[in-house]
Amino acid sequence: MNALLRRRSTPRLGGLAALIAVVWILPYQLGGYAIHVVDIALIFALLAIGMGLAMGIAGQINLAQVAFFGVSAYATAILTTHNGFGFWPAAALAMVAAALVGILVGIPALRMQSHYLGIVTLGLALGFINWTTNASVAGGAEGISAIPVPPLFGIDLSSEYLYYYLEAAVFAAALAFGLFVVRTGLGRRLMAMRDDPLSAGAVGAEIPLLRMTAFVLSSVYGGVAGVLYVGLIRFIAPETFNITNMFLLLAMVVIGGRQSLVGCVIGAIGLTLIREQLVDYPSYTQLGFGVVVVLMVVFAPTGLAGIPARVRAVVDRRRGRAADRAALRPFQPYEPAARPDPEADPVPPTLDVRQVSKHFRGLTALEKVSLTVERGEIRGIVGPNGSGKTTLFNVISGFYKASAGHVRLDGRVISGVRPYRLSMLGVARTFQNLRLFGELTVKDNLLVALDRTRTYAIWRYVLWPAGIWRHERRLNQQADDLLARFGLTEFAKAPPGSLPYGIQRRIEIARAMAGAPRLVLLDEPAAGLNGEEVRQLAGIVRSIRDSGATVVLIEHNMGLVMSLCERVTVLAGGAVIAEGTPAEVVGDPGVIEAYLGDSAMADMPLPTPSEARP
Amino acid sequence: MQVFLQTLVGGLSLGAIYALVAMGFSLVYRTMGLVNFAHADVLMIGAFAASTFYVSTKLPFALAMALAIAVTGMIGLFIERVLRPLENKDFTLMLIGTIGFGMVLQAVAVLIWGATGRAVASPVKAAPLALWGLRIRTYDLIVLAITAAAVVLLAGFLQRTKRGAAMQAVAMDHEAATAVGIHVGRSNAIAFAIGAGLAALAGGLVGPLLYVNPTMGGPIGIKGFAAAMMGGCGNIPGAIVGGLAIGVLDSFAAGHFQGYSELVVFLVFTVIIMIRPLGLFGEMTVSRA
Repeated sequence: MNALLRRRSTPRLGGLAALIAVVWILPYQLGGYAIHVVDIALIFALLAIGMGLAMGIAGQINLAQVAFFGVSAYATAILTTHNGFGFWPAAALAMVAAALVGILVGIPALRMQSHYLGIVTLGLALGFINWTTNASVAGGAEGISAIPVPPLFGIDLSSEYLYYYLEAAVFAAALAFGLFVVRTGLGRRLMAMRDDPLSAGAVGAEIPLLRMTAFVLSSVYGGVAGVLYVGLIRFIAPETFNITNMFLLLAMVVIGGRQSLVGCVIGAIGLTLIREQLVDYPSYTQLGFGVVVVLMVVFAPTGLAGIPARVRAVVDRRRGRAADRAALRPFQPYEPAARPDPEADPVPPTLDVRQVSKHFRGLTALEKVSLTVERGEIRGIVGPNGSGKTTLFNVISGFYKASAGHVRLDGRVISGVRPYRLSMLGVARTFQNLRLFGELTVKDNLLVALDRTRTYAIWRYVLWPAGIWRHERRLNQQADDLLARFGLTEFAKAPPGSLPYGIQRRIEIARAMAGAPRLVLLDEPAAGLNGEEVRQLAGIVRSIRDSGATVVLIEHNMGLVMSLCERVTVLAGGAVIAEGTPAEVVGDPGVIEAYLGDSAMADMPLPTPSEARP
Repeated sequence: MQVFLQTLVGGLSLGAIYALVAMGFSLVYRTMGLVNFAHADVLMIGAFAASTFYVSTKLPFALAMALAIAVTGMIGLFIERVLRPLENKDFTLMLIGTIGFGMVLQAVAVLIWGATGRAVASPVKAAPLALWGLRIRTYDLIVLAITAAAVVLLAGFLQRTKRGAAMQAVAMDHEAATAVGIHVGRSNAIAFAIGAGLAALAGGLVGPLLYVNPTMGGPIGIKGFAAAMMGGCGNIPGAIVGGLAIGVLDSFAAGHFQGYSELVVFLVFTVIIMIRPLGLFGEMTVSRA
């Protein structure tokens, strides 16, 4: 095994060694101006990584990256020239300033997303430019010059050749850290948030904290780039941080491939070099970049980095997809847990909904709904469309705040608790219209839900990466077990969107089970399944219950409800109209009325003309 | 009081321009859910085109404006056609695509008109009116009158014509609109062209107020977006109120903070939009899980 691992990683190590050799030798081949261009390209590459992390990985539109870059550059310049700080202490403070500005710009992301966020971040960037051109401490339009050369153990960093090595080292570390983040828990959570913030919250991702983290990461990369820029050029002026450069940076990230950090780097270095080649024709260059951005967006939205995967997909489709040949394996039941004896050991009900109402302005979706689900029960919730079933689930799982009443989980009041906290407390759910993380593989979908660490544990990324690594190995093992249990091993690497509907439903149940929940809420798990799949589903749900969890399911498939559920609650018009065993419920006149209209009318004899006339 | 009123009046004419920008932006946003970042640069092209027809070709101001609107309308149709494959699919990509178009338009403007820009003489030579001790420029009144006319025409189009009704239907539900036989693509194209025309109108009107140059779109455009967001994205009456509000805010910020006015405007805007993310008139919609 060990030997195998070593052999597999040999070509990678070889490639890395070759890359290091190239980076090492490069300056010897370049003239004075060329090395300057390379130094600039590396700075743009750092900026692009930060932007890629925010936009591509976390899905937060960040058009303030040049402001982060500018804040740290200006802070370094002002602290060294005005306040007499040494270069490195100033640089450290500048990084702090950039991170603080990152938090500031990130705050709006807590309240708004997508294009709103784009405009707000762009507006704040414009505000920053406005400050640099006016503040006397920032030197106004003339900027700040005579910034000292950064000292480094007697190495003369005024030589752009030697500066290149400093930049290359910082850049390598920054890229490695970025890739580490993307390929481990934090990155997966950020990507899950990008693909579907609602279901990411439902599997335990702390969305507000993650959004702030994305902006802070972005601003720290911007900050590093700013410090390096000041040390290299030793002069700054407002036009370096203008909107044109912001959009140039955006073009780099989009053309390179925003969802891949390596793509962002390639885009940044490539466009910087092209721009330098065409330095005498800036308008044509901008025209060209603009056209390429438009073409990329329409024809290759994943950028250059996404092209290999697209080519592979086309080849696979020609040959017949691997996913088509892969088969769904049977579900392997959980070990049955000892069922508690309610007589000997009375426990509070797992789920206790008391007098819950939910109003949307004038509309009443739920009216004083009460229901109690005992531990180890399989409860069915049925009712006509629009009767409030999914709203009830949304209240229980924390998506909606109940207008009145409360919900208890194992005796503890959980109404008003955020979805990610509920997930940690052991509430898991699936969604009526499938909310898998579309751009993640099946295995990553499960890994996101398996990771039970709180989001603030990301401090370990800075202070104790080895801990992250060990945790990652454990999670991988658990994910493989879970895949095997649900018969999904052969689909581990597939994107869920490419798989048949029945398999996607099963993945969602597997994802819900990843957190070893106490209470599982299944919203129409049989919708769109064929007869055989429904039969398998019944087996899976029973096994989930046997493992010790409590299951509540909304379902329209009455055959499944009748065979699976011990008790059924019927909702109509937002209120509970019946509850009992399946047999009791189907005979209830109120239930028949809710489903079929006033059926009593049909049974009444038609009035005869003589009776009609008194 | 005098100063206060003078600042208020001064803000209204720029506010009317922002309202025009916000209206065009909102019209496109509500029909296709797209934030058109090229809108600001379309405005800049409109300003250049109008000033070229007016100053160089010596056409009457109104005719120059009409030609500029026609030119930018064509640009709008082109942008919509290129980005049509992404409509109603991926808004982030469309947003980036319109930024790409913005870069192209700016570069084209530099290639045609040069990077330096130009000043445009006011088309009305009349002296400012004196009213209750306030000085009101006649051109400001014309800007307000034209904006009001544009609002009335747009409202009439959306509410009284079949095409306008179709556009409203697409805005509410593009799939249902297709089902009742509306050509969604064409409807979007017309919305885009009208939006571009409104941008050109704003650009042509702003020419004599500011300096026309290739990067003028940035600040005006973003303030126009901000106006649309304050009014609730996609809400046309809201866009007008938002535009006037931003104009007045701008005017007061310039009075109190001089050079820092832009910084202050964007900070105030960010705070307002944080408190009411859906704008002053935006409706909260509930997303179904």
